Amino acid sequence: MITDWIIAALICYALSTAGFVMERAGVRGRRADWATGLLGAGAAMQTGDLIMRGLQAGNIPVTNIAQSLEFLAWLTALAGSVLIVRWRMRVIGAFVSSIVLITLGVAGAMSRRGRIVMPQSLRSAWLPVHVTLALAGYALFVLAAGVSIVYLVYEKRLKAKRPLRPADERMPSLEKLDRINYRLLGWGFVMLSLAIVTGAIWADATWGHFWSWEPQESWSLVLWMLYAALLESRLTVGWRGRRAAALTIAVFTVLVGSFLGMRLATPGKHGGNFG
Amino acid sequence: MHETLFIVGVNHRTAPVAVRERLAYAEGEIAAALARLKAAGPAISEVALLSTCNRVEIIGVGQSAAAAGAQARGFLAADRGVAAEAFGPALYAHEGRAAVRHLFRVGASLDSMVVGEPQILGQLKVAYAQSAEAGTAGLVMHRAFHKAFAVAKRVRKATLIGHGSVSVSSAAVSLAGKIFDTLTDKTVLLIGAGQMAELTARNLKRLGIESLLITSRTFDNAVALARELGGTAVPFDNFGPCLKLADVVIGSIAATRAVLGPEDYEGVIRERRYRPVFLIDLGVPRNFDARLHAMENVYLYDIDDLSAAVQESRGEREREAGKAEEIVELEVEGFLKWLDGLDLVPAIKDIRSSVEQLRDGELARHRAWLAALEPAERERIEALTRGLVNKLLHRILSGLREGRSGAADGVHAAEIARRLLSSELAVAGDGFDDDPDDDEEF
Repeated sequence: MITDWIIAALICYALSTAGFVMERAGVRGRRADWATGLLGAGAAMQTGDLIMRGLQAGNIPVTNIAQSLEFLAWLTALAGSVLIVRWRMRVIGAFVSSIVLITLGVAGAMSRRGRIVMPQSLRSAWLPVHVTLALAGYALFVLAAGVSIVYLVYEKRLKAKRPLRPADERMPSLEKLDRINYRLLGWGFVMLSLAIVTGAIWADATWGHFWSWEPQESWSLVLWMLYAALLESRLTVGWRGRRAAALTIAVFTVLVGSFLGMRLATPGKHGGNFG
Repeated sequence: MHETLFIVGVNHRTAPVAVRERLAYAEGEIAAALARLKAAGPAISEVALLSTCNRVEIIGVGQSAAAAGAQARGFLAADRGVAAEAFGPALYAHEGRAAVRHLFRVGASLDSMVVGEPQILGQLKVAYAQSAEAGTAGLVMHRAFHKAFAVAKRVRKATLIGHGSVSVSSAAVSLAGKIFDTLTDKTVLLIGAGQMAELTARNLKRLGIESLLITSRTFDNAVALARELGGTAVPFDNFGPCLKLADVVIGSIAATRAVLGPEDYEGVIRERRYRPVFLIDLGVPRNFDARLHAMENVYLYDIDDLSAAVQESRGEREREAGKAEEIVELEVEGFLKWLDGLDLVPAIKDIRSSVEQLRDGELARHRAWLAALEPAERERIEALTRGLVNKLLHRILSGLREGRSGAADGVHAAEIARRLLSSELAVAGDGFDDDPDDDEEF
């Protein structure tokens, strides 16, 4: 359901995107500052929405894909703000705010009107733990993909021998982008691993078996292995830089495809069919 | 009378270094020189001395800019023992508006050899501090310098004048900053001890590289430079293993064929675990095979790439300089207005006191019947006269300040107003029968 909170959040994210894009386009002034502020404001609006609906539902409001996307947008906005402020990664602002805007927009368009009915099987303390871990992992993978895109763009400029233009003066170094990509992947991997474990424990408690090979479970395992391979290649062979960035984006497209594909095509437990 | 800013001096455009170095002052000499300058004659009331590699300038204030300028010029010749003919043609003298503009342009680094370079502002600040300390800076200079600093700040903020690299070595260093986040854990390898390579190594060293390896055909040269820069010399026919360690490699060797090619790096890249490598080729003919640039996480820039970057940022700075000049022009206008206002101050004071005296005189004349009034009524009459006087003064003074008198010279207009209102006239006016402030009016 599109609440006033969501509309306010969408407006904040849209303005934030505009601000970051203008800053990227070389419009002078303190655009990035207020664009960052608006991103935070959008996240705050969403926080309000989640609290209101969470109180109404009696648990965190994630019972279908629209709600999951909304939650993902919120986590991405929060993590993105931290990245922009704490790690001075303004260059990623346009990516973060636009992807959050799109995600929340899609979530809003897909959402059904009415009260959230929380199925009996979801009334568990495991729901917030499992879902938050899984979606936080996804949010970090979203950001890792964004950092990798920025990496490839800047790497291309360095190869094209045009990075000394005054407009590019404040671009972050490749080394920093690479390191942040690695950290985001690492933490995302930890979250994903814990999400799988908590999901299995929860499934055992509810249905009596850890693993039922439903699509989400299988795909999670696939993604887990892909991200493990990605991290492994860095730790053992030392693949980094361009190759790591390209692979991060490749794995991320698998993630997006599986996330959307599963929820649109085959409704399992994660698609809202709680047997 | 008019206090005017003047500037007399030479810079990199008007005088060759042979002249500039003879006129230059060391930092320790300046205080004494300022005292001598002030003592040389009465034409100069405030003065500062700016002496850098690229300019020697006497910046001052005097009643007559021409006389002050002549005194400064004579001083420079006598004090430095240089015949006036030797630097005469190179000398420029600015006064009034031109001097203010010159000062602001110097501070904003618009008059620098490399437009937008940042050192000049610091040098100007030192010159000002020395003048203030020597007690040779007065009201006008304080304001002029502070304004010059503010203009420089504004220009830097509003334009891209200080952006980009303006030398090959600084371009190389700035590129290193695009590839590496920090240099503190990096190793630099110098192949050949050319001058530009040395300069680049020095710049990198200043940013705190971890270690510096130097190799050269003549091993002694490598050792000498290694000792000077705090590095390690490596024999030339055995520098191969260093490639594994080196994150930055600078080539500046005279060689007919490339000393490094893709085949040298094939295994090294894997051994380095794909950590990026920055190759800086300063040699002509080129030291590094251009195909290296195509390798993964290897970035090769040759002297032409760096020069092109330098050209581009110089061009960019020149374009930005236009915007900066507009800012300077606006600020010059503002400063001159303030300076004109300063000239009006004595006249304005007189005008104010004349009118106040008139009011006091009138109140005193009517003291007898005013005393008979209720205190509240007396208050109101006081307020009425005060209001009238203030309104009148405001019109006159703001008109003078904003140059609405129609006279070409604001000071002249103020002088006329002052004389018309002066106390002698006011006293004479006391006896006039047609005095509008007559008893009947109340």
